[in-house]
Amino acid sequence: MSTFIARRLLWSIPTLLGVTMLTFLLIHIAPGGPALALAGQRATPAQIAAVTHALGLDRPLYVQYARWLGALLHGNLGFSYVQQSPVALLVAQRLPQTLLLMGSALLASVLLAVPLGVYQAYRRNTAFDRVASVFVFLSWSMPTFWFGTILIAIFAVTLRWFPVGGLQTIDTTAFDWPTRIAHLVMPAATLAIVSVAGWSRYIRGSMIEQLREDYTRTAVAKGLSTRRVLFRHTLRNALIPFITLLGATVPALFGGAIITEQIFAYPGMGQLFWQSAIDRDYPTLLGMTVLTGALVVLGNLFADVMYAVVDPRVRYD
Amino acid sequence: MLVRRRMRLPWIAATCMAWVALAVLACAAGPALFHISAAATNVADAYAAPSAAHWLGTDALGRDELARLLVGGRITLSVGAVAALVAMVIGTVYGATAGYYGGWLDTLLMRVVDVFLSVPTLFLLLFLAAMFHGNLVTLMIVIGATSWLGPARLVRGEVLTLKERLYVEAARSLGAGDGRIIFRHLVPNAAGTIITTTTFMVASAMLAETALSYLGIGVRAPMPSWGNLLSGAQSDIFAGAYWLILPPGLAILTTVCSFNFIGDWLRERQERALADP
Repeated sequence: MSTFIARRLLWSIPTLLGVTMLTFLLIHIAPGGPALALAGQRATPAQIAAVTHALGLDRPLYVQYARWLGALLHGNLGFSYVQQSPVALLVAQRLPQTLLLMGSALLASVLLAVPLGVYQAYRRNTAFDRVASVFVFLSWSMPTFWFGTILIAIFAVTLRWFPVGGLQTIDTTAFDWPTRIAHLVMPAATLAIVSVAGWSRYIRGSMIEQLREDYTRTAVAKGLSTRRVLFRHTLRNALIPFITLLGATVPALFGGAIITEQIFAYPGMGQLFWQSAIDRDYPTLLGMTVLTGALVVLGNLFADVMYAVVDPRVRYD
Repeated sequence: MLVRRRMRLPWIAATCMAWVALAVLACAAGPALFHISAAATNVADAYAAPSAAHWLGTDALGRDELARLLVGGRITLSVGAVAALVAMVIGTVYGATAGYYGGWLDTLLMRVVDVFLSVPTLFLLLFLAAMFHGNLVTLMIVIGATSWLGPARLVRGEVLTLKERLYVEAARSLGAGDGRIIFRHLVPNAAGTIITTTTFMVASAMLAETALSYLGIGVRAPMPSWGNLLSGAQSDIFAGAYWLILPPGLAILTTVCSFNFIGDWLRERQERALADP
């Protein structure tokens, strides 16, 4: 197992290098450029040239890349010209918030999607299954921000159960946990809605497949209760491929966080990314993309390892 | 079974197809037939509630919401269709090349896909849309260019099994070149997968347009799209014009959902045809 993990870790290095190259190239083919963004729209060509030179943007691309990568390997994610702050600091302030949001959404999705998928599979092709399927498809097809707005209209404006949004400052340690959780419920629900839909659909399909297997028939024939067959026998097998899906959902959650954090003015990575894209704050975009890429690669690695742990049939050597 | 059993068209898939057809027809022909122009402003009539004159009410500038919805549908549906087409063309060529040639080229091409998949799609989309903001054609290309990864993987998988078939060997023995085998034999035989995936792609491209419009870098005002009508309606709520939030929202929801249902039905149909030829 440890050789497998080591090999997978080694394999992820070229992927990560690829991520850095991809981001770096994208930023440099873009029109405008950071010098223009920093010097301002009214800057004279001479001013822009001076800024370009000061930032080292007039050096060849591979030199810039090598310098940036070298700094990265020393733990330096870069310096944001726009925010006048190290990127690592900007990210460190916001990453915990986003991870908390993503974690809550992930937990909520699993708790909702698994029972729904199992029950739909158990009652497949009944009225319940059909109605639930329609709802699943509807929530899958809904613009996220629309769902968020509806939540705000109902639960914040009308019922006043939760705050509209806006954890005001990044320094959320200033708030106590009840406040933070109250600010978390609606964003997490908004972020979860798409994965609940996708996953329950997946669990349903995977359960139906497992329910057709011989071992299920055996379990039923030997007189086990329905509950025991469903949860002890079929669900365990149905969940195995689901682990890979969980790993693959990490990037989608990061993406979804951009929209969700925007709706609820939640101070996380998504908001920072959006602001940086609008400001053309390239070092921040670059640093965040690389960091997210690393988290995604780690997430997939973790899913692969879990897959091997959960399913004894999988052998990796 | 020698006689191919006729697949029944479930009512839900039929309804969805009818809805998509209706939406396309209404948005294509509607603006020409409808008597109110989508661009005509009338500030005296701003935020008018739905009435006989304005069936869906008017917006902040007194523009007729129904007229704007019909024109906006043209934009959103074309963004969905063109972006899906772009994604499918890139994905098919890429996936078929990787699957057909195999070996180191396949490994390299698929590693590149892994790299792209490690970056959240919305990051790339936001990034590119912010860079090339302002033009409808670039918006379509950007959405398409960020959604070809799934199709590429699916087409590759399909080509991997198809290339072992006898008709490929037959074509090769007749002297067909690689390009001819890929595009005349393999790709047409993968058409089922390609069509199914395209249906889902249209749905997700429409949602991408909506998301980008919400983030302020999608379709630019004054050009209406379902996405920017919906995101604009968010602020109209505070002006009391709550009726503006429903038409674009429902238009997106029902149309995207229809495409997803059709895709799901096509996929199920395909799987059943494979299991029971």
